[in-house]
Formats: sequence, structure tokens, C-alpha cells
Amino acid sequence: MATKVHMEALSPTMEEGRLVKWTKREGDAVKTGDTLAEVETDKAVMELVARADGQLVNVLVQEGSTVPVGDVVAWIGAPGEKVDGGEPAAPAPKGERSAVSGARETPAKEAPAAKPPPPAVPAADARVKASPLAKRMAKDAGVDLKLVQGSGPGGRVVKRDVESAPAAPAAEVPRTAHRAPRTPSDGAAYEDVPLTQIRKTIAKRLATSLGPVPHFFLTIEADMERAAEARDALNQQLGDDGKVSFNDIVIKAVAGALRRHRACNAWFRDDHIRYWNDVHIGMAVAVEDGLITPVIRNADMKTLAEIGADAKELAGRARNRRLKPEEYTGATFSVSNLGMFDIDDFTAVINPPEAGIVAIGSIVAKAVPDGERVVVRRRMRVTMSCDHRVIDGATGAAFLKTLKQMLENPLAML
Amino acid sequence: MKPLDVIDAGVVPYAEALTWQRALAQARIDGRQPHDVLLLLEHPPVVTLGRTSHAAHVLRSDDIDVVEVERGGDVTFHGPGQLVGYPILDLSGYRQDLHWYLRTLEQALIEALGILGIAAERNAGYTGVWTRGKKIASLGVHVKQWVTWHGFALNVTTDLSQFDRIVPCGIPNVEMTSIARERGAGSGEQLWRESVDAVVQGFSGVFRVEPILKDGPNNALRLGAVLDRAQA
Repeated sequence: MATKVHMEALSPTMEEGRLVKWTKREGDAVKTGDTLAEVETDKAVMELVARADGQLVNVLVQEGSTVPVGDVVAWIGAPGEKVDGGEPAAPAPKGERSAVSGARETPAKEAPAAKPPPPAVPAADARVKASPLAKRMAKDAGVDLKLVQGSGPGGRVVKRDVESAPAAPAAEVPRTAHRAPRTPSDGAAYEDVPLTQIRKTIAKRLATSLGPVPHFFLTIEADMERAAEARDALNQQLGDDGKVSFNDIVIKAVAGALRRHRACNAWFRDDHIRYWNDVHIGMAVAVEDGLITPVIRNADMKTLAEIGADAKELAGRARNRRLKPEEYTGATFSVSNLGMFDIDDFTAVINPPEAGIVAIGSIVAKAVPDGERVVVRRRMRVTMSCDHRVIDGATGAAFLKTLKQMLENPLAML
Repeated sequence: MKPLDVIDAGVVPYAEALTWQRALAQARIDGRQPHDVLLLLEHPPVVTLGRTSHAAHVLRSDDIDVVEVERGGDVTFHGPGQLVGYPILDLSGYRQDLHWYLRTLEQALIEALGILGIAAERNAGYTGVWTRGKKIASLGVHVKQWVTWHGFALNVTTDLSQFDRIVPCGIPNVEMTSIARERGAGSGEQLWRESVDAVVQGFSGVFRVEPILKDGPNNALRLGAVLDRAQA
């Protein structure tokens, strides 16, 4: 039953540490609390302390190596125990990563002998081993990790390898960009917040989207002058109770455009595409600690006032967590609006199995050419995210053209 | 506020001060030393090498002791006129964050220099304290079980030509300066007194501790008591 010795975080802002000195050698007997090695970050050296009694076995990292926080640097085994395996470069599970005063590993979880011995050199066609920091830096700098000689443990590519690799021309990676934010007043080294159910669901659902779903994005700008006029006129007529928002107008226009472009009103299923005949619009609503998309059913059949009433009622209950499951499932297409946060344009993540979502920016007064003159008009940018397995570029563009026409001629919708 | 034992120990040979620090730190880890400690002292001339030192950064060593130690950082020089501070702090009482500790230590010295009328600042990426592009204080710390030792070296009236022996902190072409040079006037002894006071004030303010300061001959007694406790 061996215990792993991890590279510990000397600071929440530390991503990797340099193992400057082993104070115990492989085979030395160690007691809990004994100093095993010294780790440096910035101009501070910290002693890495044994968290178990036994014998230092399988030292995986040489003096002078830089090692990502959480990686195993050695094992402590029972006296005489032989630990053949070990994971030289595998990062520890996330929960353990920042465990500075981390508890001793539970022996039940350890099965080092069962693990294959580390390969001395990574095979040429093997997946490139690299620290998360190195991967991110390589991505930002346009460096092909396969071409980088790793100098970390087990041939792993670490930060300095990427730094010394020939970078793409525009590869200036600001160091501070990689630092985790820090709460200034908090006395603790870190805070672990368990995932709430809603965050778990968001994480799971969005990870099944942007990774596996091949997104592409189309942006169009619509003139909103007439929509604004129509809204004012309608609201005057409706009185205080049933005010119509720009978002309602957008939902109505999206629903109308989908009615004419069934190719975008679809779900991707594993072996087929389901084209929906009804139009149900999911409306992203920010709630405390997350978001939820209540569905406005048959939005294409409803009047603006009905959509407005539905949207208001559903959003209210969404914020109070009072939606029934059937009220936030079954959308055929979604709308996400960040206009109220002064976002000019953005891209939204598709909510699978839907094939598309439009991201609505704020309405901004802009100078636009009008014949020979320049006039100030209220404009709104709409970006559509398309699942390329369902919607092709031209298909999405045709839908957006119709949407723009509807937004610019709102009377046609009424 | 947490109490902080401040010990103004006078001139102490490097090796001896190192023994004190290690004993105090171990006592703090074991809970035998109830308070955090700030050791303030001056060393006879010595060059020390931190854990990331490059031998090539020592240019002349024929007539001076060179000591390799466990602190972070590269090579540095200590000598008369330099105020050396060794905080023995249990960081579990503050923050378990070495970057925070280094930045806060810098801030303590920046505040101290402010009291002395010198505008000092950090130099991003180069740990230490700087004024007008010159380095006035160096840092290098060591931590075990979140208890610190080693610390800072602030040039008060240091003979700056001594830094020509080395590439200070491994930064080529760095120009060192001192409080005396920045202020341009004042007697050495007076300046030393003022500097010690300013450092204690800056340190207490930034770390929010209550200094328990003894001066004069009591120092030796006090240090003796602390060390007795540490070695008990």
C-alpha cells in the first residue's frame, strides 16, 4: 500500500513548481513530517513533507524539473515494498489538485502495482503528453505540441518547452492571463464550492455541445427602427399590463422565420435528423447560479402579446425554480439575449439535440449610410450558431436573411 | 491583533543566525514558540547562494565567505549597513499562499521606505523592492509546513560596491541602491535607527501584528529566552 507524493500548490496562483532538491533518496526510510524535497516558486522555497511512514520509492522527477501542481513526484511504500508502477505524469484528479495540507491517500484507492510501468520515451505516434498549462500556451501561441521535445517527467511537454519552441508570429501570451482570480479579502487559501444540481446539469449538457457538436457561426445586423416604432405603438395600445419587449419581437420573428425554414427547425439524432413541424422556442433565462430555457410553444402561432405574456410568466417562474420539466424541455430552436447587458454581439452554445440557437446583442444607435447621406439608426446584431451536421452555411444564411426581413418589417408579423 | 516578537539582534554571523532561524522555525512548527518572530540583524560580509543560484553569478569570492542555503532565489550579498529581516511566521495564521507572502513582504518594505520618504515599488517578475529603477531590497524565503524563515535584506548604508562581486539575484546589469544613497544626507547611525523603526512599523501595519519590541541590552536576554524555548 503505497502513498503518492504530489507536487503541492504553494499558492493558489501556482500552476507548476520546480523541484530544486531531493532531501531524501530513493530507498531512504521516511516518517510522516520528514522533508522529502524542496520546491521553488518565485523566490520562495517550500519543503515537501512526507504524509506517510515508509520508504521513499519510485522517485519520478529529477532535481531541477518543473512539475505541474498535483502531479505525482514519488511514492512512499512500506519498508521493503516494491512499487513497480506509478503514474509519472498523470495529473491528480481535480479534487486533489490544490490540496496543500491534503490528507493522506486512502490505501484502497491505490493500486500502483496494477498500473503499467511508465514508458521511457513517448512513442512517436502516441498522444502528446503535456501539462495543461503547456497545452493552453501552445494553443494560444499556435505551437504544434507534436513537434516540441518535452523536458518534463516522462518526456512530458511543460511550459518552458513551449516557450522555447518556435512560435507563430502573433504569439504573445500574457502571463497574467493564466492566473486564477483571487478574492482579496478571503483569509483561506482556497474555497471549494460543490457543484449545485443546476451547475452539474449545465456542465454536462454544454459539454455534450461545444465539444461534440460541430458549431459554426453566422452574424447579421438588423435595423430595429421600425420594430421600435411598432413596439411603442403596440405598448400604447396594450396599456400597462401586457408590455411587449424587444425579446418578444425577436422570438416572434425567429419563430416566423423557422416556419419558412424548416431545415433549421430540427434536432440531430444519432442516425437521423428530425425536422419539426411545430415551432417551440427555448428562451434562455438567467437564474441564480445558472440558466434555464423555458419553452414558448407554438411561438409562430401566437400573437406578440401572447408571447410577451408567456415569456414574462415563464421567466418569473424560472427564477423562482417553479418550472415543471415539460416547461423547459422540447424546444426546437433557442434564443439567447444578452442585449440588456450591453453585449453587442456574442456566440451562444447550442442546446442539443437542437440544431441552432441565435444570440441577440443589444440595440445600438449607429451611423449607417442611407443613399448619399449618413443617418443614425438603431441596429441589432444577431449571431446564429449552427450544428453543421444539420444546417449548412447557405441554409443558415437563408434563415438569417428571412429573420432580418421580419425584424425590419415587423408589420408583416402582426 | 496577533503579537509579533521583534528581536533587534545587532551584528550576527550568517551561520549563527541561520541556526537561530532553523531553531525558531522548528519551535514554531512544533507549537513551542507561541508567537511569530521578526529577527532584525546585520551580517558581517558574506555571499549567499539560494536554491536556484548559478555559480557563474559569483564573480569574485577570493576574500569573502560563500554560503549555500535553502532559501529561494539566486545569489546575494550581505554586509554591514544592510538591515536583514528574518520573519518566522506561521502562514496558517495569515494565508497559505507563498505568492501572497512575497508580495506582502514587498509591501511591508514599500511602506517602510515610504515612511523614510522614499517612493518604492515592485518590479513585476522581479521579486524585491525597487526605487527609480534600482533595487533597494532583496527577498528570498523558505517555508516548511507553512512556517517561514529567511526573508529580506534592505540596504541602509551598505557599501554598494560589494554587489560588484556578484550578479545580484541573477539579474544582469541590475543597479543596487541604498536608503543612504536615495536620501543623500543624514548620519549613518541615525539613519539605521530610523530604518529599523520604519521596517517594524511597515511590517506591523501590512501583516496586522502587534510588535513587542525590546531594545538595548534586553535584546540578548530576550533572544536567549526565545531560543531556550525553541530548543527546549
